Amino acid sequence: MSDFDPFPPVSVVLVSGASRGLGLAIVTDLLERGVKVAAFARTVTPELEALASKYPEDTQFGSVDVTDEKAAQAFVKEVEARLGVIDGLVNNAAIGQDSLHVHTSSDRIAQIIETNLTAPLVLTRFVLRRLIGKGLKGRVVNVTSICGQRGYQGLVAYSATKGGLDAATRSLARELGGRVLVNSVAPGFFASEMSAVLGANQLESIARRTPSGAMTTPEDVVPTVRMLLLEQTNINGQSIVIDGGGSI
Amino acid sequence: METLDRPAVRKLMGEVLAVQGKTLPADDTAKLADIGFRSLDFSELALRVEDEIGDELNFEAAGLRSIETIGDVLDLLVEIQGQ
Repeated sequence: MSDFDPFPPVSVVLVSGASRGLGLAIVTDLLERGVKVAAFARTVTPELEALASKYPEDTQFGSVDVTDEKAAQAFVKEVEARLGVIDGLVNNAAIGQDSLHVHTSSDRIAQIIETNLTAPLVLTRFVLRRLIGKGLKGRVVNVTSICGQRGYQGLVAYSATKGGLDAATRSLARELGGRVLVNSVAPGFFASEMSAVLGANQLESIARRTPSGAMTTPEDVVPTVRMLLLEQTNINGQSIVIDGGGSI
Repeated sequence: METLDRPAVRKLMGEVLAVQGKTLPADDTAKLADIGFRSLDFSELALRVEDEIGDELNFEAAGLRSIETIGDVLDLLVEIQGQ
């Protein structure tokens, strides 16, 4: 008989990059399930303000740039004082790329790495230190991308950060033993984002080539994030691809 | 910043194609697909322009997706230099 002590569902979750898209969908879903949710983004959007009005006791939203380490840490302390210790973290904040590597400036490469890889690692470290120091268990979900596992033109630096975060997920899961579950969700391309750079015909063609017949939407990803934060599954150190089978 | 005008860029484009044993048509409406000028050839041309003007030309890939003719290539490279 194992003396394995199950991981409780999270009670206070911090979501970075929550102003729109997947981050906003995750925040909304967790609040609907009674989880206390803190979230930050560069801008607190009307959608977040509406959620704050609807769930005044369960939310704390702030305008924080994820690369501003001091501001992010101050926000974590505010959340802890108001909602309780953060035992769930969703690293979602990221910036995109649409430029060939040889035509991407070194400053832009550094910015992508700082936002998509360094910042989540630093934020995770800070949240984990406060969690572990209090003897608590927790869960981390990193939002990566299919780009971390497959090659795509125009996304070299972006892919490097997402692959790096997937690698960190595995090592963190190993390092944190029985205290914290750490996983990644790796979505395929969102039609909403690709529509900015591809035409309707190209989007239709991608959808046709996807075995499920559809490109990924934020709503497709939310149930997996919810499961990783709330359900007893023993999934740990995994990168779960959600792309309709487009990469198989 | 020094810039290259359209004829100068056209001359460099001809050199890129010449290395591959191809000839740059005189007609700017000629299709890139017909002359075998691919996206990496555009990169090579942009890097040659960089060498001439002594500065980097960094740009998004979105503009590359819409170029179809020789004229499109020349227009884009002249435009990028002006940014």
